[in-house]
Amino acid sequence: MSYNYIELITLILLAIGCFFILSGSLGLIKLPDVFSRIHAAGLIDTLGSGFIVLALIIYSGFSLLSLKLLLIPIFLIFTSPVTGHSIALFAHESGYKPKGKNKN
Amino acid sequence: MAKPNKDSLKTLSFITYFIILFVFWFILSGYLKTLLLFFGVISVLFVFWMSYRAKALEEDSLPLKIILRLPFYWIWLFKEIFKSGITTTALIWNGKYSPQLITVKASQKNRTGIANYANAITLTPGTVTIEVDKKTFLVHALSKKLSEDLQTDDMNKVITDLDR
Repeated sequence: MSYNYIELITLILLAIGCFFILSGSLGLIKLPDVFSRIHAAGLIDTLGSGFIVLALIIYSGFSLLSLKLLLIPIFLIFTSPVTGHSIALFAHESGYKPKGKNKN
Repeated sequence: MAKPNKDSLKTLSFITYFIILFVFWFILSGYLKTLLLFFGVISVLFVFWMSYRAKALEEDSLPLKIILRLPFYWIWLFKEIFKSGITTTALIWNGKYSPQLITVKASQKNRTGIANYANAITLTPGTVTIEVDKKTFLVHALSKKLSEDLQTDDMNKVITDLDR
């Protein structure tokens, strides 16, 4: 049985990315208030999409296509904090208090 | 080394912006024919004129000095994102989060640096900048460890060094 190394690496990176997206979605449901949920959404934005795009770049080989794929995380780096910040600011301005100590 | 005056610095930043835009156009299109490259130059010039008209080419918004340091900074930022991402994932799965609000001081001089620092805090999972006052940020952190990592001031120093 012979493995293709590139496919193996792609598979591992895709699995890691999917794991981060799963944890982010779980956190989106599980965490107590709006501020904490932004953290979970940020996890999906940065690490989840980052690992999946990295896997796709390695799978497609280094060509013009992989440069185009590289543009996706660059745009996410600039846009994702702005959305997170604007949601947090609006929640803060409209009077939401972040929940302090939880049960644990 | 001759001291660069303001005008030549501005011209240099214009040229850099033009090159960046043209590389962006080329990555998205991938054409190599002369006619299409010419059309590319025309569309890049159009975008250049638009952003000049919108006053997006001020000195503050096109910092030429940091462009060479930017790749190293991004590698460092990816490392930080990965580290705090692991911490946040562990917190989500084991449920030992204790959200808290802290204030962080920023020591950057210009507006670009402050925006950069606030974005870097938001980009690392587990910490979100809620409000930016002039030199202090209100930050929401998911656990005590994450807020203590932020208060060691490492990230602040790196970003201040970026536009020295």
